[in-house]
Amino acid sequence: MKARGPRLSFLMRNPGLFMILLAAVLIASAFAAIMIGSLGPIGPGDPERISFGDAFDAIIGHDDDLPEYYASVFWDVRIPRILLAGLVGAALACAGTAMQAVFRNPMADPFIVGVSSGAAVGAASAGLIGLTVAVGAFTAPVLAFAFALVTVLVVYRMGSVGGRIHVDTLLLSGVAVASFLGAVVSFLIYFAREDYHQLIPWLLGSMAVARWSYVWILILPVAIGCFVVFMYGRELNALLLGEETAHNLGANPESLKRVMLTVAALLAAGAVAFTGIIGFVGLIVPHMMRMVVGANHRVLVPAATLFGASFLIWADAISRTIIPAQELPVGIITALCGGPFFLYLLHRSKAGRVVG
Amino acid sequence: MRLTVSNLSFSFGEARILKDVSFEVMDGELLGLMGPNGSGKTTLLRCMTRYLPSDARAIMVDMRPLHTLTEREVASTFAVVPQSSSTDFPFTVRDIVAMGRTPHMRSRLVGPSREDSDIVNRSMDQAGCSRLADRTFSGLSGGERQRVVIARALAQEPKVLLLDEPTVYLDISGQFEMMDLVRRLNKERELTVVAVLHDINLAARYCDRIALLSQGRLEAIGRPAEVFDPDTIMGVYGVDVAVRRDPFTGTVYIMPKASSTRVASHGRRVHLLCGGGTGGPLMKSLFDLGYSVSAGVLNVLDSDYECAKDLHIPVAAEVPFAQISAESHAENLRMADEAPLVIVSPFPVGPGNFRNLEAARHALESGKKVVIMVRDPVSEVDFVGGKASEFIKGLICSGAIEVKSLDDAIERVRSLSR
Repeated sequence: MKARGPRLSFLMRNPGLFMILLAAVLIASAFAAIMIGSLGPIGPGDPERISFGDAFDAIIGHDDDLPEYYASVFWDVRIPRILLAGLVGAALACAGTAMQAVFRNPMADPFIVGVSSGAAVGAASAGLIGLTVAVGAFTAPVLAFAFALVTVLVVYRMGSVGGRIHVDTLLLSGVAVASFLGAVVSFLIYFAREDYHQLIPWLLGSMAVARWSYVWILILPVAIGCFVVFMYGRELNALLLGEETAHNLGANPESLKRVMLTVAALLAAGAVAFTGIIGFVGLIVPHMMRMVVGANHRVLVPAATLFGASFLIWADAISRTIIPAQELPVGIITALCGGPFFLYLLHRSKAGRVVG
Repeated sequence: MRLTVSNLSFSFGEARILKDVSFEVMDGELLGLMGPNGSGKTTLLRCMTRYLPSDARAIMVDMRPLHTLTEREVASTFAVVPQSSSTDFPFTVRDIVAMGRTPHMRSRLVGPSREDSDIVNRSMDQAGCSRLADRTFSGLSGGERQRVVIARALAQEPKVLLLDEPTVYLDISGQFEMMDLVRRLNKERELTVVAVLHDINLAARYCDRIALLSQGRLEAIGRPAEVFDPDTIMGVYGVDVAVRRDPFTGTVYIMPKASSTRVASHGRRVHLLCGGGTGGPLMKSLFDLGYSVSAGVLNVLDSDYECAKDLHIPVAAEVPFAQISAESHAENLRMADEAPLVIVSPFPVGPGNFRNLEAARHALESGKKVVIMVRDPVSEVDFVGGKASEFIKGLICSGAIEVKSLDDAIERVRSLSR
């Protein structure tokens, strides 16, 4: 711990520099991810290996000699997909940061108030009633989003007593409702045997559904939501020392909790509605960033948001390419990489705490 | 800064926590808020910070009702140091202190200004925690954390500093460090302080005034010497105490007196010949066992004399630093005559109090039982060149019962008076 001290405090002393670094990493990640794939300079699949120059030309539409579908692969499939991954990653990481602060618990995640289980019921019922054909590609996202918000409202009602939100009660309500809805989802899956293959990628989280319309719908709400969380950074700091301390420092803990829960739930619901339940991003990204920049939310919120975007872009890139000619749901990748990495970080910080 | 509390009442459901509490906090004073557990001290603090609601106009800050202040105004009027602070999140000390600027930073967009950073640095300086600035808050000791939280409170630039039992989790050096710091800030920054404290002696030493709460009522308010008298403390805490002056500071301090297991008085008389602080433990033990104790001859201001006064024991007294006069010697003999048993404590014998040994011989000669506690070697208490040692040996030869310790003495007294 001691040996790591100076390096850490350099980043902590220069949060602006670190933000620029994270933004640069994000842009670089996005560009790298565009190049990665079965058609591209990097990745599996021998027949479609092309040079960086060709890929670049295809993207900017410079070279007429290249096959037409090259541009389509980049513009209609890969770029919206990477943008969507970035948005969803940012939303989940930011929502996770906010939830961990509101619950004063580093084990909280964006789904703690029932977002994911509610959304799953919505998505599963869309599959069951087979509305996909009738209303098109938006049925599942709309139902998932609506069910997520209804669930959050129910949990929120059960977690507040006399107009005050008790985070402990809220946490338990979230757990209880989530397990109940989990059973409902299992029930729906059981009856929708034929269609349940469609549901699996959603339940595990997948970017394969990406399209430009999703990107356009999400971009503004995610930006606004993350910005609101950032603006409440100082109050979130104060809240982490207890509600009474927050009050004594001039923050209103009740309205703060209400605003943050609402924004975080909307961010999380919006993120999962399209791409499904992507676990671990909202839990480990805030953790990783706290280990680098500390707990000051004026720095932590933008750091986690930027890093969450990069993180999910890379996770998606891996999920697209790790098995040739096949795609894994990205939720599997985030859990597979995130779980062990999280344990490693936990172990290291615990060791550091003992020594320090 | 004027802070007045008038007819403040507060209830949690049916339970009335505060009943008609009225007082004024003087500008620049250090006011100790005291009282037994559950007497409403913390509730009173929380009403002041508006964390709990109170009636309109019950609390007035500079002639303004508390409830008309904005949240920021409340937070820049009062800064609170709780009993302890902890968090699982890796805040640095500087982060924690910077939180004190929250009520002063109006814009949600802009970061801390140069002025804010200066205030944060100055606050850490004044609270003596600058060298901790880059450490992680959760890795500090309890005392260090309290310093950091005081720095945060200073960064709030409050008019009143509220402390809720700030020393409760600290060891004795931490307690004094904390109170010295609070006192210094109170003097140097002319910061008004209201501190909930549990330790009466600590409070008496540091506070200008004490407000004593009991079952939600304000029982007494005033200077420590006025508030801490044995009757008030008996009434509020149910503890029998003696009040003394600290020889170093001149402030009052209390000490618990009778054990709670005092045997009902049975009237058996014992007379004690003592002095120089050697008789106190005997007096107290015999008193607890229900004996009617008398003592003599004691100079006024001798700690044995004060002890006897606290226990309401009759004393043959002599003016301070004077030789035992014929009158007080006679009174001493008369008291000894009334008791079947006389105990001689190992008091230092000088020319002034040699007569107390003669009183012992008188008792022996008039057929009383005499128990004499002898220190080994006897010469330790002999300040008359061997005369006292000879005399004590003579007493033992003439039938005085020699004991070595307090327990032996008590055992002898019990068997003799049975």
